[in-house]
Amino acid sequence: MNQTSPVKAMTSRERVLAALRREPVDRTPVVNPTSVATVELMDLVDAPFPHANRDAAAMARLAATSYTELGFDSVMPVFSIIQESSALGCKMQWEQKDNWPTVRMSEPIWQDVDDIRIPNDYLSHPDIVCVLDAIRLLRKEFGNDVAIIGKTMGPWSLGYHCFGVEPFLLMSLDDPGKTMQCLERMKEATVQFGLAQIDAGVDALTVPDHATGDLVSGEYYKRFLMDMHSEFVDAIPVPLILHICGRTVDRMDYIAQTGMAAFHFDSKNTPCESKEAVGDRISLVGNINNPETLFSKDPADVRREVIQNLESGIQMVGPECAIPLQTRIENLVEIPKAVRHWHDHHGHSH
Amino acid sequence: MAELSDIANEFIRQEIEEYLERPTEIERNIELFARVRPAMQDIAAALIEGEDDVVDRLTQQALADGIEALEIMDDGLIAGMGIVGIKFREAMIFVPEVLACARAMKAGMNYIEPILSDSGVEPIAKVLMGTVKGDLHDIGKNLCIMMLRGSGFEVVDLGVDTSDDDFIDAIEEHQPGIVGMSALLTTTMPNMGKAIEAFIDADVRDDVMVMVGGAPVTQDFADDMGADGYGKDALACVEVAKKLASA
Repeated sequence: MNQTSPVKAMTSRERVLAALRREPVDRTPVVNPTSVATVELMDLVDAPFPHANRDAAAMARLAATSYTELGFDSVMPVFSIIQESSALGCKMQWEQKDNWPTVRMSEPIWQDVDDIRIPNDYLSHPDIVCVLDAIRLLRKEFGNDVAIIGKTMGPWSLGYHCFGVEPFLLMSLDDPGKTMQCLERMKEATVQFGLAQIDAGVDALTVPDHATGDLVSGEYYKRFLMDMHSEFVDAIPVPLILHICGRTVDRMDYIAQTGMAAFHFDSKNTPCESKEAVGDRISLVGNINNPETLFSKDPADVRREVIQNLESGIQMVGPECAIPLQTRIENLVEIPKAVRHWHDHHGHSH
Repeated sequence: MAELSDIANEFIRQEIEEYLERPTEIERNIELFARVRPAMQDIAAALIEGEDDVVDRLTQQALADGIEALEIMDDGLIAGMGIVGIKFREAMIFVPEVLACARAMKAGMNYIEPILSDSGVEPIAKVLMGTVKGDLHDIGKNLCIMMLRGSGFEVVDLGVDTSDDDFIDAIEEHQPGIVGMSALLTTTMPNMGKAIEAFIDADVRDDVMVMVGGAPVTQDFADDMGADGYGKDALACVEVAKKLASA
């Protein structure tokens, strides 16, 4: 449970780091551990997609808007989930300003465990270096004011990109042992990129690993990923935020056992049931609905969802996932505004 | 009225007992499987287990024994897929298991489809299917296509990352009754609404019924975008398509 008084005023960075440790905060931090990039923000700082995914200065400029324009407590320079896959050799579709870059998963680069190769110069690939340089630029610009969160893809998500979703999921059923071997090999990419981002200056790392309830069961998460995610906690020495989209309440108990600092959860799970599932074993981040609320509705609707999260004791409030690029700024700025307003009237523990 | 014990295949009996909860679905499946011949029950059982090699062998055997292709498809493959769809809807199985069942269905359909297309059976309707612009995920769409084809629809698959112009060009070329759009990502699902607007601008919106689906899509979102139908999963997709085709 967040203690909101009598805690001295904190910087955004202090606030996020305290919430990740489930320690008292002066107010609930506003965070999106995935992305708040929008077309409006791209225009504002002249950092459009796809350029902002491939140029460090543009990446840092766009990431900074989360703090400077929206009033969030964190910045996240890795907007998409494709930097590593590009560096591993996947075929890419970089798209345009109003569309997300994606991996051409129908043209997989690996078919078998022996195909898996983490290139020796993996960390020197331009799409990796871009992220590392952007982190350095953000640290230089903001010092310790704002929490800089990086992102390193988990091996399950890399499996989708490198093997193709369908072949990877079928392999998990046909040959679970081989799938484990694949995950063991791919996790090296997760750890290497995570450690490099720590060297560059991140305060925490998001680990997207899309073992979502829309695709696989909670037991799948336990069998294939729970122990590996615990290993990441030991191998990558900053607070880790696991991100899995979709319905996940059936695996939250397992997630809470990994030792990860936080879980970024989707609006398909209510704040109340999610809090009940994890208790005080892990912080929760989320879960303002993207398509129906942030994208389609008005600030009053956003406010209602923020309050629902705050009243459920969610440690960090923010969008459920990377937001649609056409989301209006007025709905995004409403999140920190509603959080501050709520704390003005509930200035003590909740 | 048929009884569970009227079904010869023990595995099918267990599936109905263990996994089906809605009385209407239990009744419908008991009636169905009690009516169909044991060889079809065996095909359905192998499909539910995801055994593509067994479905391949049993389908060939059934055809060699003189059983009609349509009967094998309806009473074996689609009947089995009906139970798979229910188990998926109720979160008793997940996508890997469904993919294995789809692989098994495809193994059977490889023999059935050429026979049906040569026989000149009229499709219920023509459906264009595509994943929207910016989205490269197609598992859900492919499952829908397989179920639609198995249910008597003619389907034109536009693949993934389908631009508004590609949809419009295909509408003009193929003149379908229904357009189905899918999106897996919350970030790309707004592109469904943009595509519908583009259909209006291109003056083709009134020529087609639009159905949408995908993990993050909801009935409310579909209504807001102006779609004519929404299906939560591949099973629902077929029901929606049948409804739209007869509208």
